[in-house]
Parts: sequence; structure tokens; C-alpha cells
Amino acid sequence: MTSSPSEAVNGEAEAADAGTDADTETAAPEPHPLQGYADDVATAVGGEGAVVFDTVKVEVDSGDWVSALTTARDEMGLISFSWLSATDWSSEVEVGDPYPEAVEDRIELLATVADISEGRRVTFSTTLTKDSPTISSLVGVYAGANWHEREAHEMFGIDFEGHPNLAHLYLPDSFVGNPLRKSFPLLTREVKPWPGTVDVEAMPGGGDDEETADAPSEENPEA
Amino acid sequence: MVVDRDLVRHLSESSVSVELQTEEMTLNIGPQHPSTHGVLRLVARVDGERAFDVQPVIGYMHRGYEKLSEVRTYPQITTLINRIDWVAGYANEIPFVVAAEKLLGLEVPERAQYIRLILTEMARISSHLIFMASYPLELGAATPLFFALRERERVLDLLEGVTGGRFHPNFNRIGGVKPAYGSGSSTRKVIQDLPAGFLAETREAMDRVLEAVEELELLVADNEIILARTKGIGVLPVDVAASYGVSGPNLRASGVPFDLRKVEDYLPYHLFDFEIPTGENGDCWDRWYVRLLEIRQSVRIIQQAIDGIPSGPLQAKVPKIIKVPKGETYVRAENPKGEMGYYLVSNGNQGPYRLKIRSASFSNISILPWILEGVLVPDIIAIMGSLDFVLGDVDR
Amino acid sequence: MSTFISDLFANFWVSLAGKVLLVALMIPLVGMVIGYAEMKLSAKMQARVGPYFAGGRWGWAQLIADGVKFFQKEDLIPEEADRPVFKIAPVLVLISTVALLVVIPFGPGIIFRDLSVGIFYALAISSLSTVGILIAGWSSGNKYSLMGGLRAAGQLIAYELPLVLAVVGSVMMAGTMSMGGIVEAQIEAGYPYVIIQFIGFGIFMIAALAELSRIPFDMPIAESELVMGYLTEYSGFRFLFFFLAEFANMFSLSAIAATLFLGGYWLPGIPEDVLAYAGPVILLAKTFLLVFAMIWFRWTFPRFREDQLQSLAWKWLIPLALANIIITGALKVYL
Repeated sequence: MTSSPSEAVNGEAEAADAGTDADTETAAPEPHPLQGYADDVATAVGGEGAVVFDTVKVEVDSGDWVSALTTARDEMGLISFSWLSATDWSSEVEVGDPYPEAVEDRIELLATVADISEGRRVTFSTTLTKDSPTISSLVGVYAGANWHEREAHEMFGIDFEGHPNLAHLYLPDSFVGNPLRKSFPLLTREVKPWPGTVDVEAMPGGGDDEETADAPSEENPEA
Repeated sequence: MVVDRDLVRHLSESSVSVELQTEEMTLNIGPQHPSTHGVLRLVARVDGERAFDVQPVIGYMHRGYEKLSEVRTYPQITTLINRIDWVAGYANEIPFVVAAEKLLGLEVPERAQYIRLILTEMARISSHLIFMASYPLELGAATPLFFALRERERVLDLLEGVTGGRFHPNFNRIGGVKPAYGSGSSTRKVIQDLPAGFLAETREAMDRVLEAVEELELLVADNEIILARTKGIGVLPVDVAASYGVSGPNLRASGVPFDLRKVEDYLPYHLFDFEIPTGENGDCWDRWYVRLLEIRQSVRIIQQAIDGIPSGPLQAKVPKIIKVPKGETYVRAENPKGEMGYYLVSNGNQGPYRLKIRSASFSNISILPWILEGVLVPDIIAIMGSLDFVLGDVDR
Repeated sequence: MSTFISDLFANFWVSLAGKVLLVALMIPLVGMVIGYAEMKLSAKMQARVGPYFAGGRWGWAQLIADGVKFFQKEDLIPEEADRPVFKIAPVLVLISTVALLVVIPFGPGIIFRDLSVGIFYALAISSLSTVGILIAGWSSGNKYSLMGGLRAAGQLIAYELPLVLAVVGSVMMAGTMSMGGIVEAQIEAGYPYVIIQFIGFGIFMIAALAELSRIPFDMPIAESELVMGYLTEYSGFRFLFFFLAEFANMFSLSAIAATLFLGGYWLPGIPEDVLAYAGPVILLAKTFLLVFAMIWFRWTFPRFREDQLQSLAWKWLIPLALANIIITGALKVYL
């Protein structure tokens, strides 16, 4: 990427950042309508609750994982198992600029459960070490966790203790590696770099000439 | 002592006399099989016509969209994700762009929201129509297929007229729908909106869809053999369904009036008047009939949306290169197949840091080992078909 | 000259050869006509056009093209198959349909062989095709084929009984088992037996559908469950044999039903001497009416489940057929 458009890009992104920051700041005095619910859940399961972008997220200790979700199911009425997955926070990046943050050596395990009456949903999160991510299985609490844990096992290498059958779900049995870890290379990208950031799709109003990129043409004249 | 347990179960369920010695065999259904909707494989132990230990084997269509999303920019991802559930490609895009817009703090213009809503409901109609057409075919009745597909084609033609694609529209942009201007410096800048006559033709198509649904109900709902094949077969209790994460029409067929269109705000459904049809017994028949009723509700929504569609821009102001600010959110939507959601983690870059795709069919068919335990071989097909899954939606 | 020809046909061997040739031509012809009718009728019922291009008009040559195609296909025999049995199965199925035609009276005296136990022979021969299907399923070395073959066997046992019992009513009324005799008895009585034997007629048609493995009783094939059932491993002309046998069997069983219940080659009000010429046409018309009904069912109904078929046969059709026999007997004695 050449320097001048990249600066322009950063400028725009900062502008967008500023916009959302301003929004959240103005909203800050009034707590999010879901904040009370997040606190209730957090108190019940013994974790920390927050509302991020309308998503109730409760962080619990990895040791409390099963007990927290059991409580959520039995006491909070969150009986529907939506999904379970993980995020590898190693901060390696393949599109755009590198992240400013240092590498975080952790895997965040996420599980979303919901009710089937009022539309409440809570995303539970816990932190696992990257070297030996191990946690108790949720299969006994939510039967649907079975396949999701198999998926997380093969994609992130997380071991779920007590899972009845941690076999590969998608990949062939002979497959080695955990594809969704950031350290797993996407081989086609190694061979041929994705045009990705260079060949971005022109958005409305933005001419695709690079000289005009910093011109105020990003505005939608029709708007 | 596995054999003894099986023998006891076999005897209790098929009431064959003790003297009759039977031999079990392993039946491998799929990955290439006429009624596995693609490349699903089931491994079952069968004793005569009765199947035990049915284990689905998936992954034949795994395309790694979650990994691919990490190396693509936001606008490029919509191209991928409308291939998840290709029967309702348009509906897949919505939760993703809404998630990105949520992180960006974008207000989507009202007209764009209405267009999204109309097209989503059209995708739902086309998805339900193909299910309602193909399900009798799985039971051996070929004729309803043609009555439903004829009207589905009409709906798809309209979708194609707007988006340019029957199955893979790729019509949503972050901040709205398709750019209001032709792109490229050499291209003449032309204001684009819905094609002329689209709304009127949609209204007409909706009337035809209602007629087709009427016809289908006559053809299928009054057919004694279909009722005999589906009533009381594959009953799915609510608590089991919930713990497996079964959602959408499959859950509603079990009698739960729960629809994400009513409780989530990804599209302005609260402006419209519609009901949530539910089933009574949670059997195959209810799963078919609930979808029929849902088509009628979708038509209602579309008719109201056409009446109330505001004018205005189709696109919010967005920067040329979209960098989504740091944050994470989960946005879920009521897809034709059930709950479709994206957990989007952004680190302030041009592409997502992590995109977890929660697809409806994946959870819906994870119940197969439970629901297919000890059923007859013909019922495997009847139950599997009634769950209405698409392999692209299972494997992602 | 004409005496030479009649002398020639009086010779046993020449007349036998002539009859064999006639039957051999009739099977593919009937198969093609019914196959084409099925394509066109199903298209009509499904708002389609159906065959259109082959032959230039209405796609009339579609079945010929299909036949030629089947002969061009590679004749695959699976590695696991029991080869001699695999090869003999389609022949067996086809032979049983050919043999069925022998006892059908096409007009007064126009019959290949009027056996005194005609209907008995017909029912016995028609179940032979199910044996062919069973060994086809068994010998293919394929689990789907095996299940299809076993389902066919189950169906045979369940439906042979109602089929036979349904016929008994007509036989009792006519007092003969000869097919020609049954038609003559109907002419004598002045009405087709369906008027009294409507239960028997219904049961016969249902059981005939099950015997033919056609929807709603096509569980031995059940393409959404068993891929193609006992036909899974067959290709080329062996598949064509099954294909032809199905259509020819439809024809034969419909012709038997027409003979037993609808008066065969006879229509009320048509004089005896005209019947000699019009007989075959009348019988064909009645037969194709029944064939049409079978095609109609095929494209209207889904298929039963195997256990539902069994309970339909044992719990409903057989008791009904027995009751029918008792009522017929009572009528015969007291009227």
C-alpha cells in the first residue's frame, strides 16, 4: 500500500471512530437498557457482566464454566443453546494494517445461550491459556454443545473434558492443525496474496481514482 | 453386553418372536443419496427396517468461511456468506451487515431497511416454497413440486430483477443496499433505485404465491397418505429442541411462539402486523404446515411493506474504505431455516478479526442422532426432510 | 392360396411361432404406448409439456429414443454381484409378464390359450415377477437392493392373498376359472360383474398396484429412501427389461381386471358378430382406462410406509375380501 491513500484511509477510519465514540459517550450517562439484566445474570452465575453493542456478555472463570451455564439454564431460563466457539487473540492480521496491541496469548471461549420466550440472550466468555486450552464439557448441560465443542476442538485445539466423542467434525481424520488459530497459515494466501486491501470495492460516492480518494466525494450526494 | 441390550430393545419395539434370528447391517446413507439434500452422510445400524445409532457425518461441504472472512474486507464477505444457505441467500447477508453497522454506529436509511425487509421475506417465501415442494417428493408425491416451484420462480425472478442474482444476490452494502451510483471513474454516474414496476409486480406475485399455497394445501393437506406418513412421526419436544439449539419453524412446530423477528431489531419488523404460527405436536406434519402458514404471514408483511415504503436514499454515508471500529457484537436474525447469527469481533481494521457464523441448519440437524433413534428407514427420510436443512448452512 | 395359409396356420409349430412373435412384438409395443402415456399424462398433471422434440411432433418417438439409449449403455455388473442370478432376474420378470398375456381373451375365440384354470394360472404367473425382483435385489450385492428386494417379498406375501380372494367372487359368479368362460358368463348375465363385485374390483386394483410396485406402493424402489431399490445396480438393457416389464405388467393386470370385472371384450348392445372384430378394441379401451387410473394414482399419491402397507393388507383388504366372498356365496345360493 502506498503511503498517501493509506493516510487518507486512516483519516476516514478515525473519523468513523470518533463518530461512534461520541455516540457511546453521549449514551454513557444513561446505562444501556440491558445493563440491569447483564448485572442480574452476572450476579447469579458469579461473573462480570457487560453490554457491548447490544450484546450481553458475561465473563466467568474457566473453572466456573459448567456451573455458570447450569445456573443460566436452570435459574435464568436460558434453555436454548445457540452456539459455542472461540476467538484466538494472538492479534496476527492478514488484512489491512497490523494491530497496535501486543500479542495476547489467550483463547477466549464463547458460548451464547438464549431463552425461547422473551428474546434474552447472554454470551458467556472465559479465558483459556493458549498452550493447553482445557475446559469441562457442556454436553451434560446443553445437549447441543456436542457438535459445537467438536468444532471448537478441531478448529482451536481446545480440549473438552468429559465430551463423549471429540472426533473431527468437518475435517478429515488425518488433518493436522487447528485452522482457526491465527498461527495457522491460509496456504492459498501464502502462494498468492489476496488483492484485498488494494482492490477495495468502491463505495458509493467514492471515485475509484486514488487521487480523488481524499476529496470529499465520500459523501453521498443524494443523501 | 451391547448385543443383549440391542436385542431387548429390538424385541420390545418390533414385537418379533424370540425365535426369529435377525442380523444387523450397517447402512451408509449418503454422501451421494437422492434425499440428503447435498452431501450429508448418515451411518446407521439397521435391523430390517429399523435403524439405530444414526450418526450424521458432515463436513463434505466445509468451505472454511470463518477463516476466509479473516482475510477479506467487509464488503467482500457478503459474497461469501450468501452462499451459506443458498436457498435463501439474501437472508444470510442481513445479520452480517447489521452487525458491522452496529459496530460502526451507522443509521441505515429507512428505504434501504424496507427494501431489505421485503427481499428477506421474499427469500423466506422462496425457501419455504422449495421445502414445501420437495418434502412431498421425499414421501413419493412428485406433483406438488411443480405447483410450488412455478411460483417460487416468479419470486426468484423478482429477486433477480432487483439484485442481479437469483440465489446469490450480494445486494447488501454496509450502510444500506446496493450503491446508488455506478462505480468507476469511467462509468456514467446513474442514480439507481428499485427497478420500475418492482413493487407492483411483487404485489401481484404475492397474490400468486397465496394461490399456490392454497393449491398446495389442497394437494397435500387433504392427502390421507401424507398425513399417515407424517402425523406423529419424529415428535420433537420443546425442551429437547431448545437444548440442541433447534430454532425457527422447527421450534415453532413444537408449539413455541418464538420468532426473532418479534424480539430482535435487525429490521423494522415491529412496524408490521403479523402472527407467529405454531404447531401443536411437533411432528413432521406440523413442521410442514407451520411453514405453509409462515408463507402467508410473510406475504402479509410484504404487502404492508409495499404500502408503507418511504422514499429516500438507499445508502448511509460511509467512508470509501470501511474500517470497523474495535468491538464485538452478536447479531442474530430469523432466517427461513432458523436462527442465523454472526458474532463479529473487530479490531479496528478493514476485515473482521473473527467472524463466528451461527447457522440454523447446523444446530437443527445436530438433533438427528436423538430424533432418529429406533425409527424405521422410511421415517429417517420423512424426519430428515421435515427439518429442512441445507448442507451449505450446515458446513459453512 | 388362402387354403395354403390356413393350412399353414393349422400346423401346430407355425401357429406357435406366429403367436410367440405376436407376443414378443406386443410387449415392447404396449410398453412404449404406456410409457409414452405416462410421460405425457404426468406432464399434463404437473403443468408441464413433457416429451416434445423427439420425432418432430409431440415427442412421439421419445420412447424409441429411450430404448435405443438403453441399448447403447454399458452393461455394468457389480463386482459383488452373484453374476448368473443377477443376469437371470430381469429375464424372469419379463417372462412372467409375457406369460400373463397367454390367457387374456381379446375377443370371442381370440385368445392365445384358453386354459380351464386361466385365472389361477394368471395369478400364479404374475407373482413370479416378484420372485424375479427378490433375486434381483439379493444378487446385486448392494444393501439398498437387498432392502428393496426384501420389501418386494414382503409385499408379495401381503398382497397375493387379497388379489386371489378378490378374484374368487367373480369366479364364483361365473362358475368357471377359464378367462374366456368368465367373459361369456358376463355376456350371458347381461351385466359386467363390477356391478356386484365392486368390492372385489377395488381390492383387485389396489392389490394389483402393490403387485406392480407402483406408487403408492413403490417401497421396493422408493428412490428417496433406497436410491432405486432392487434396480439400483441395473443398467443398460437389463434395466430396460425391468422398465418394459413394469409397463407390460400394468397392461396385463389391467386387462385381467377388465376381463374379470368389466366384461372383457364385451359391451352391452353390441351384436355377437361385430364383437369378433370390435372385441380387441373394446378390451383395449377398457384396459387403457384402468392403466390411466394407475398413472393417475402414481402422480397423485405419496408412498406408504412398509408397515402401513402390511396393516392395510392384513387388517383391511383381506377381511373385506373374505366378507365379499361370503356375500357373493349368499347371493349365489339365495338368488
